[in-house]
Amino acid sequence: MTTEAARSRFAEIVLPYLDDAYTLARWMTGSASDAEDVVQDASMRALRALETTAVERPRAWVLTITRNTALTWMAKNRPANVTSTEGVDGPLELPELTDPAPSAEQDLIARAEQGAVRAAIAALPQAFREAIVMREINGLSYREIADASGIPIGTVMSRLARARMMLMNSLGRPA
Amino acid sequence: MITRDVGPSDDLLLLQALLDGELDASGVIDMERRIAADPRLAAEYARLRALRGAIQGGALREMAPASLRARIAAATGVPADSTSSNVVRFPDTTARPAAATSVRRWRAAAGAMAAAVVALVGVNVYLVSDLGSNDLERAAVAAHSRGLISGQPVDVVSTDRHTVKPWLAGKVPLATTVVDLATDGYALSGGRVDVIDEAPVPTLVYRHREHVISLTELAKGSARPSAPTRETVSGHSVVTWTDNVRRYVAVSDMPPPELDDFVATFRRAAASEREDSPPKPVK
Repeated sequence: MTTEAARSRFAEIVLPYLDDAYTLARWMTGSASDAEDVVQDASMRALRALETTAVERPRAWVLTITRNTALTWMAKNRPANVTSTEGVDGPLELPELTDPAPSAEQDLIARAEQGAVRAAIAALPQAFREAIVMREINGLSYREIADASGIPIGTVMSRLARARMMLMNSLGRPA
Repeated sequence: MITRDVGPSDDLLLLQALLDGELDASGVIDMERRIAADPRLAAEYARLRALRGAIQGGALREMAPASLRARIAAATGVPADSTSSNVVRFPDTTARPAAATSVRRWRAAAGAMAAAVVALVGVNVYLVSDLGSNDLERAAVAAHSRGLISGQPVDVVSTDRHTVKPWLAGKVPLATTVVDLATDGYALSGGRVDVIDEAPVPTLVYRHREHVISLTELAKGSARPSAPTRETVSGHSVVTWTDNVRRYVAVSDMPPPELDDFVATFRRAAASEREDSPPKPVK
């Protein structure tokens, strides 16, 4: 049923971004085996879509499908882990910039161990974790994250800012 | 495009947009001037840059496992890509599009050249700090870190090498040298399969006090036997060596002399295990 044209587009558009897709799914689901299931589902969805869809930005497109598949998959298989995004985007109350931070804090952040960084990101609320992974690891632009997540650019910016505040707070404290 | 027509409480968003390369040229110039004039902004921007450095060094990027690629190939009828995407990608050489984009934009903005220079210096420091380590060691450190974070450094939990060895034998093409070092203070806690350079490889996990040691065994290939050499990769001690049979990479957060001692202990036990083959019954 799948046409040769779709398969060839799949090889060209999806396969180069499997690592990206797997990374996003891994951080969204928190589990390697769940991430494999999600990426396989997402691949099948992508293959079907490629019968008719023209793709301009493959990385963003693949990650959009991966994110949506992950949310659907978690709602179905891990309902206890799905957290509502309601409330996370309330009025942005970022702290006023404080006095110049002691450089010790900046040093602590810069020297944070890999393990600490991974743990801090894993501890972020789902919506923030997703945004920071798409930005910092998948390298998507604000516009691409907004499109992938179905939220306005302003919301992307405030989620990223909050995620970064949380990460700086947890990594900038002496252990 | 992000507008600059915002109030002072949005400074953090603007700093972040600068960091992310999302400001246009005039916006970059504007923010650079403000940062130069305002120590509070400068300090916050320095913290944001430090965070980016920590994230980029955090081995957060995962590789799609070979098993997943195989499943997808089977399900779609599209053979797994054997070229670009199968090249093992490492976190510190990829996923830096933001930096690349920013540098391009900065170049377009003459007034922001100073910022570009700062950014490039930052990247260089980063690379220098990793000098001397190679992809294999970084991959081993990434796998070790993943295991710790997931709370599951082992796929098969067992202190019995006669359990661990056959389990690994069913998963990887290499026969694994598994030795019991409990009497030397290094308790076997299990094994897992890592994927390095697209090949599944066996990794043994030992514990020493509160520390975890990952020991990965690889096909020797054409490598010649070499004595253990130690270096530091992203805060972890890494010791690599090659014997007549295998190439080994040991990773731990233990103090370096203790990791050296572990390696020496393992090498002695592995050598005597091979001489004693078939192995004597364990006590």
